[in-house]
Amino acid sequence: MTDSEKAVAAAPNVTDSDLYVSGIPHGRLAEIRRTPGLAWHPYGDDGFWAVCRHSDVKTVSKNSDTFSSAIGHTNLWDLEADALEARRSLIDTDAPDHTRLRRLIAASFTPKNIKRWEQTVRDITVELLDEFAATGSGDWVDMVAAPLPIKVILNMLGVPLEDADYLVELSNYLVEGTGEQQSIPPDAFGNTTELRLLPFNSPASHALFEYGAKLAEQRRRDPRDDLVTALVQAEDAGDRLGPSEFRNLFHLLVFAGNETTRTALSHGAMALANFSDQWNRVLTNPDLVPSATEEILRWATPVMHMRRTARTATELAGTAIEAGQKVVMWYSSANFDETVFADPHQFDAGRSDNRHFAFGGGGPHFCLGAFLARLEVTVLLEEMIKRRMVLRQDGEPVRAPSNFVHGVLSVQMSTVEVSPQ
Amino acid sequence: MTDDDMTDDGSVRIVVDGTRCIGAGQCEMLAPDHFRVDDDSALAEFVGQDSLPITEAETLIDRCPSGALSIAPSD
Ligand code: HEM
Ligand code: SF4
Repeated sequence: MTDSEKAVAAAPNVTDSDLYVSGIPHGRLAEIRRTPGLAWHPYGDDGFWAVCRHSDVKTVSKNSDTFSSAIGHTNLWDLEADALEARRSLIDTDAPDHTRLRRLIAASFTPKNIKRWEQTVRDITVELLDEFAATGSGDWVDMVAAPLPIKVILNMLGVPLEDADYLVELSNYLVEGTGEQQSIPPDAFGNTTELRLLPFNSPASHALFEYGAKLAEQRRRDPRDDLVTALVQAEDAGDRLGPSEFRNLFHLLVFAGNETTRTALSHGAMALANFSDQWNRVLTNPDLVPSATEEILRWATPVMHMRRTARTATELAGTAIEAGQKVVMWYSSANFDETVFADPHQFDAGRSDNRHFAFGGGGPHFCLGAFLARLEVTVLLEEMIKRRMVLRQDGEPVRAPSNFVHGVLSVQMSTVEVSPQ
Repeated sequence: MTDDDMTDDGSVRIVVDGTRCIGAGQCEMLAPDHFRVDDDSALAEFVGQDSLPITEAETLIDRCPSGALSIAPSD
């Protein structure tokens, strides 16, 4: 049978951004999962293989020799070659460059080194939670979920307190850059670079690069106990980060940990409000905090997909893949795969053996910030338990029209009085 | 792996391939008694004195994102 004769299942559309305003299209993803082989999903003038089963996502993710991150882009659309080069960071690099870069910074993100930031995370969390509790109700995203991770990462990077607001502003413009509309002109912040050469096509990226370079210069002269110092000093067998590597990495750290963790903290709060029996379980048995943390990550699936590109012709789930074709791993499907997760649409704070792919399906690109993200969710749960805080969700959340980040733009929450034990 | 890799009670030891490990720390999280990720090199080491039951070892090998873990050949 030739390729053209082979019947290929066409996937129902799961990329239309508007779908996501009412949440993950679970029904469509389940349909793709159930269809034998891989489904071809049209996209632009071409398309991609939609990889939706847990086991297939893992195969693609771990097989980075065949499924490249460096070809094209790791998002659905391709970047022009010069733009890809200018914007290339850890996430769209293959071995051996990737291994080298990742090893230069991995030490700062090991479980023990992340643990050193626990008090910082706690101080920030306590301040935000107490403020929320004092107000009694409000937009959880704006008041807790968004400021928490950005304050943490700025603190870790060593950004001086007085600059934090500026960086938060830049980060918000970047978020805009992931959508269709930008509210700032191309030459904002003195930008002269063509937008397509900048991450998120945003002039805010230029400003972030400049800021990062300035901070790096300061830390080179005057080292401190922070991440920027660790990055400028990072050295492995005489190897150092180049200037373009540093600025893309600085940018990645400011952005990668924010949108994602904010999303986890938003869906997490909604789950705790809406599955009150599950939150009660955690309140009465704090030993469930670790499993509740993992369940929040699965439930939230902040990053819904990542793309790879086949370096060579290969086969997956019995379907032939041609060299150069896009292969997209849908974590939003794998994390609800009924063959792996019993009752996947139940939020289960005590779920055991939770093999979720919120941080990716494994392989060399496995989320660098996984332990930091876990720490932030864990500390939030611990501090909520201490306050015996019970949340109520007031109305529907406003979801981001994005097929990439499972974003919540706003959600009204109130604190409900709990009877002391 | 072969039967030779196992001790009499079916337990095994694990080796870390330092050229593949990305310091992701999953091993340390799942089996803190057996693994330590070095804070400077970001490389994992198998530090346990004791060997692990084969099923546990297989889970760890499966969960290591970079494929750096394997069963140690017994000597
Ligand atoms: C709940 C929060 C988070 C989620 C759900 C998340 C998710 C992800 C995912 C899905 C990937 C891609 C994995 C792959 O391609 O196999 C990734 C990579 C990455 N994440 Fe996270 N992330 C989170 C928090 C963070 C934080 C807090 C940081 C850092 C401060 C961070 C830094 C990175 C970096 C640098 C990469 C690229 C790693 C590489 O390519 O080697 N992330 N993350
Ligand atoms: S899980 Fe694998 S990659 Fe991560 S530290 Fe352990 S050996 Fe290294």
